[in-house]
Amino acid sequence: MTTLLEGKAIRKIFKTGTVETEVLKGIDFQILEGEFIIILGQSGSGKTTLLNILGGMTQATEGELHYQGQPLHKASDAELTLYRRKEVGFIFQHYNLMPNLTAYENVKLAADIAEHPLEVEKVLTDVGLEDLKDHFPSQLSGGQQQRIAIARAIVKNPALLLCDEPTGALDIQTGIQVLMALKQLNQNYHMTILIITHNSEIAKMADRVLFLKDGIIDHITVNEHPLAPEELTW
Amino acid sequence: MVVLHKKVIREIKDNKGVYVACIIVIAIGLLAYTSMSIVYENLERAQQDFYQSTHFADGFIQLTGYPENKVQALANLPGIDQIEGRIVKDVNLYDKNSSSNRSLRLVSLNSPADSTLNQLQIEDGRLPLDGAAEILVDPKFYKANHLSLGDKLTLILEGKRISFTIVGSAQSPEFIYALKSPQDLYPDPQTFGIGYIPKNTLNALVKEANQVNNLVFTLKPGTDFAAVKDTLQTTLKRYGVKNIIPRKDQTSHAILSNELTSLKGTAQTLPIVFLGVAAIILYTMLLRLIEQQRGIIGMLKALGFTNREIIRHYLSYPLFIGSLGGLLGGILGIALSFPLTTLYQEYFALPGLRSTFSLKYLFLGIALSLAFSLLSGIKGSLNILRLDPSEAMRPAAPVSTRKTKIEQFTSLWRKLSAQAQMGIRNIFRVPARSLITVLGMAVVFSLMSVSWSMQNMMDKLTTFQFDSVQTYDVKLSLTRPVGTKATVYSLAHEPGVSKVEPVLEVPATLKHQWYKKEVPIMGLTQDSTLYNILDKKDQNVKVPPNGILVSDRLAKLLQVKVGDSLTVESPLSRERISTDVNKQTLVVQGIVPQYVGLNAFMDIQALQDFLQQGEISTSMLIKMNPEEISTFKDKFQDANLVSSIEDSQESKDKIEKMMGSYSFTVYFLAVLAGIAGFALIYNSSIISLSERQRELASLRVLGLTPKEVLRVITSEQWTLTVCGIILGIPLSYGLLSGIAQGLSTDLYSIPAELPLSALIGAAAGTLFSVWVAQARTYRRIKTLPFVEILATKE
Repeated sequence: MTTLLEGKAIRKIFKTGTVETEVLKGIDFQILEGEFIIILGQSGSGKTTLLNILGGMTQATEGELHYQGQPLHKASDAELTLYRRKEVGFIFQHYNLMPNLTAYENVKLAADIAEHPLEVEKVLTDVGLEDLKDHFPSQLSGGQQQRIAIARAIVKNPALLLCDEPTGALDIQTGIQVLMALKQLNQNYHMTILIITHNSEIAKMADRVLFLKDGIIDHITVNEHPLAPEELTW
Repeated sequence: MVVLHKKVIREIKDNKGVYVACIIVIAIGLLAYTSMSIVYENLERAQQDFYQSTHFADGFIQLTGYPENKVQALANLPGIDQIEGRIVKDVNLYDKNSSSNRSLRLVSLNSPADSTLNQLQIEDGRLPLDGAAEILVDPKFYKANHLSLGDKLTLILEGKRISFTIVGSAQSPEFIYALKSPQDLYPDPQTFGIGYIPKNTLNALVKEANQVNNLVFTLKPGTDFAAVKDTLQTTLKRYGVKNIIPRKDQTSHAILSNELTSLKGTAQTLPIVFLGVAAIILYTMLLRLIEQQRGIIGMLKALGFTNREIIRHYLSYPLFIGSLGGLLGGILGIALSFPLTTLYQEYFALPGLRSTFSLKYLFLGIALSLAFSLLSGIKGSLNILRLDPSEAMRPAAPVSTRKTKIEQFTSLWRKLSAQAQMGIRNIFRVPARSLITVLGMAVVFSLMSVSWSMQNMMDKLTTFQFDSVQTYDVKLSLTRPVGTKATVYSLAHEPGVSKVEPVLEVPATLKHQWYKKEVPIMGLTQDSTLYNILDKKDQNVKVPPNGILVSDRLAKLLQVKVGDSLTVESPLSRERISTDVNKQTLVVQGIVPQYVGLNAFMDIQALQDFLQQGEISTSMLIKMNPEEISTFKDKFQDANLVSSIEDSQESKDKIEKMMGSYSFTVYFLAVLAGIAGFALIYNSSIISLSERQRELASLRVLGLTPKEVLRVITSEQWTLTVCGIILGIPLSYGLLSGIAQGLSTDLYSIPAELPLSALIGAAAGTLFSVWVAQARTYRRIKTLPFVEILATKE
């Protein structure tokens, strides 16, 4: 497998007034194409910051980040936008759907700006929401909303799917359904999937797990036999 | 991107109130712009076409008499292109069964072969035959008096009744706005019109046969009027020149031009004011929207939308509102231009004045509205650029609140309720937005106060003029100066007459340095009670025994102050042999306000002495028993010496009737300002409500009633509104003096005074619009789902 993302000595420092907080303290990692990776860490460990840097949402203060060999750390705002547009799909803990667009329209919104989008109807069927496509987010349950968020992320046909606590706001059954959907995408479309979570149970379904602690990678474990989502419990 | 348009439309639907108010404000601005611009174009086009096709003259001369056969020789004077002589004479109509005195201004018609200037446009019928007792009348008089071809009109000419047959109606460029005297504010076609009679017919009926008393001429291209005037004055000196005026001072033209200027001014400024207010609303609304949709913006950025795409999306809100408001205002404006043009047809007899359907101003208007919307939109949405996507996904950091300056006055601060304290702190939390609201309210207030003072201005021109200035019942104007004593004596013995005062009105040229102005000097008796000169505090000012009083507008035009000397030339002054011919100086003794007309005032005796004339006067002011007036008029209106009899009550009634329709327009402006104020405050309430719903919901949970919660928002708004009103007072003064300066003419001066009642009225109006907006906000607060709001994540 080829390397999709590679980070070297990544540091991120936030400044608030005169106070500096070092959130990432020099991180090295490699993410391979088609991998299913979980980044595990307590809140405040810097995992969301890392995800934002990987997704081109913000820049690292120091260090290098390469995407398919291209230096993202040197990219301009416009280049980062293009990177997010073409390569990355995001899924958030709180879904962040457009409240006044229907399920279909929320997905269509992302499809419209992609170069080679998947078919909106098909993606909705894939996440099992074809019957609810004309509903507004407020008319859907949390799990259904998260599945629309997934559909919206994958309809752009991204190479990399970044998920920030995708099950954080869901009950266990719904959470497992969402994870199953993600696993399928990984298998069917060979999409690289990166999930950050503080739920160690989810780590069991990953190919590799990066343990983040106080802004550094504490250790990395490789699952020889990842569990299927339906085998998880928490 | 089509999907995002749906988002826009749904969001607009969810917040109808603010958007609709904003659309209305824009539409009002555009309505004014489109309708007035179209009417302006219609009027101007009609004026140009009519002047051109009828060869409207460049200059006008009034004199006592000039031999007809010498008129053509004047064309040889340098600068004069064409010149024609006419007889112009005001005559009364003899009405058997009507006591109202109708009169006509007779203008002699030269034979069509040798007449090119001020040609008539025949609307109906034909030209009268030379020598026959036939007459053409102007179309307004013709219509107002329900005349038809073949009807007879009996004129009183030189004391004799002579009957004429109406052979048609025709319009001259000279009498588009036909006023009997320049002091009248409105034409009254019912009682005054223009009659055209062939020259030879008229020649045979008047004493001064083969003499003309009125000359009209055109200038050769590039000629300076002043130079020609000087030449003419010298050439015509022996013929009693009353005045020589350029086209721009010709009454009908001056009024039409003045109307065009003010129409253009209003069409350009009024929309800017309203679009400015709309821009403020759109700007604050967009700021709020962007602040509220931080998360959505962050999500769009995460999805890979470019800044440009996101800004374009947020710009589509103001653009949508702008184009909808522009379209609505434009279409309504086009529709309004039709009745407006018809209204102008009522006042101005311009044959070519027609309503036209013009898309030009619709497009220009929409472009204007879009430009304003875009401007406010770009300003408002630039914040999007600054938002880092990962930052945008997090809720905004709470706005830092510091203690305000007011809190240093501890005892005062403690007296305020908690809601008022919150409100005041909020004002200082977002100072830029508070300032914008204050500015907006200042504009709203000054629009209202100006509307109100227009009412005051109208009163000065009408009621005040009749009740306080010209307190006579009847003014009898004479055809030529007469000996004062005998006339006063004989009139005083007429039944019902209780007082008679002589007046000497003399045309004169007043000069100071290089400024000069032609105005009538009014000679009044020292103790006059029938014509009162009043100062700014409405106190009586007596004419000085020596020297001259000038009106404040005249003082400004001549750049004189009390104590300066004015050189005065008058055709009525006797020629002096030894001294500087016809010239003499008078010292300015005072400057007085004058709203109707433009005059200088003197003591009648001083004026007579100044002119080296005997005891003469040109009109008589009479106080009499109202019941005897009609008998009095019957007796004198046919008299040879009488040129007109003005019944003060009749004039007053007429003008007040006219003003009735005018006051509607004035209040209309005030109502529009009120709508703008409502939109401004309602928008600000909705913003406060959405920004601070958690804060307000917490208060509800604490047990505060909706009314108490409303007070948090209202205390802020009342403070801002009061600041706006205070700022609005100097703004109103500025606006009003601009209007007064722009609209004042020789016919009337607009007083630039802001009466207390206007300020109070405007303040009440502004506060009322705020109150209405808050009442609507109250309904929203009552339905605030506070439990849900508090349950959602921050």
